[in-house]
Amino acid sequence: MTSSRLYCKGRVLGHKRAKRNSRPNTSLLQIEGVSNKEDAQFYLGKRVAYVYKAQKEVRGSKVRVIWGRVTRPHGNSGVVKGKFRSNLPPRAFGASIRIMLYPSNI
Amino acid sequence: MPEPSTFKKFVEVGRVVLLNSGASEGKIAVIVEIIDHNRAIIDGPSTGVPRQPYPYKHLTLTPFVVPSLPRAAGSGVVKKYYEKSGIAEKWAESSWSKRREALQKRRALNDFERFEVMLLKKQRRDTVRKSLKKSVA
Amino acid sequence: MSEYKEVKVGGEKNGQTRLVPTKKAPRFYPAEDVRQPKKVRKTAKPTALRSKITPGTILILLAGRFRGKRVVFLKQLNSGLLLVTGPYKANGVPLRRVNQAYVIATSTKVDISGVQLSEKLTDAYFAKAKASKSVSAEEEFFAEGKPKAKEAYPEEKASEQKDLDKAILAEIKKTANLEKYLKASWGLQKGQFPHEMVF
Repeated sequence: MTSSRLYCKGRVLGHKRAKRNSRPNTSLLQIEGVSNKEDAQFYLGKRVAYVYKAQKEVRGSKVRVIWGRVTRPHGNSGVVKGKFRSNLPPRAFGASIRIMLYPSNI
Repeated sequence: MPEPSTFKKFVEVGRVVLLNSGASEGKIAVIVEIIDHNRAIIDGPSTGVPRQPYPYKHLTLTPFVVPSLPRAAGSGVVKKYYEKSGIAEKWAESSWSKRREALQKRRALNDFERFEVMLLKKQRRDTVRKSLKKSVA
Repeated sequence: MSEYKEVKVGGEKNGQTRLVPTKKAPRFYPAEDVRQPKKVRKTAKPTALRSKITPGTILILLAGRFRGKRVVFLKQLNSGLLLVTGPYKANGVPLRRVNQAYVIATSTKVDISGVQLSEKLTDAYFAKAKASKSVSAEEEFFAEGKPKAKEAYPEEKASEQKDLDKAILAEIKKTANLEKYLKASWGLQKGQFPHEMVF
């Protein structure tokens, strides 16, 4: 196996929100291949990384990460809620994220 | 006289169906009686499917029909007709069911077995490529 | 030290000897009683090992320097960490401690019941040697204007690894392709979803 991807791909859908108010301390994430609540159960508690590039180098790298965790499912369609150390910026909406396989229980 | 339909598989008494969800998922059964546009009574006495109404949404029609099965036949009669028709063997031989089984087997493989499959596929690729080159040259 | 000592006393009517406390009582005596703090009766439970992990189980490492490597589990240490080895000869992973949260347990196992694990393999074995403070970093940096020579890997550890590798590799070779499997690293491919996979 030549691939070395040790994470699942996902996407940021947006912040948790109601009709008019958004709650940016929780983000909604969609994990690839997960289409119901039961499958989403596997990913609860897993670490999530939003990896992006910034203009300015920090410690010799333009790549930055915002870490977070999957907290709970959101609805029945496999979407999950995630909390990040610092709230995801709106420009992360639609961006891909990495769902790590740890902490593992398999 | 109406024009012959382009469809080949119909919901009809005696039609063998594959169940896609529920407790008997993956098994085949026979339509015994059509209830309405949504459901039919199915029965699979020899495949272990209990007689029950089933929505068409959750089943797939197969090309097989149990010939001359009487409408609303009881389980015993269905069993007799089903076994006489030899559909169990036909189904087992069909590429559809074989493919299903193979897929299930692949899904149940553990990490080491997946690795072994990868090695075998690699080997096959190698032989095919080499023999192709030989035949072209 | 005993609380009292015997001291000879002069004077006939003083009974020759007397017990004298070795430590003088403190001059201060609290007027009010001070509450004794409660004794903690809680003890740290040893980390429960995931039931799928048994000695000889092949694990996939998920994080760290050796992420993606398949390794053999040897035993759980007192700290709760898992002792694993590549074996080093097969895939370059040395004897190493890992947290079970960063590991996928596969259902493949190597029979290591016959392999004798050295008594020395404890948490202390992996602890970092305390750096001697005699040379400051600055001094070291300017010493002869070149960086510090890399310390050689301790021979004892190297031979330990070698012996263990030999025993485990002998077991691994009994199963076809298993060595190749350990040499290869793991990763997800398109269309593979870990929640659907069997390991």
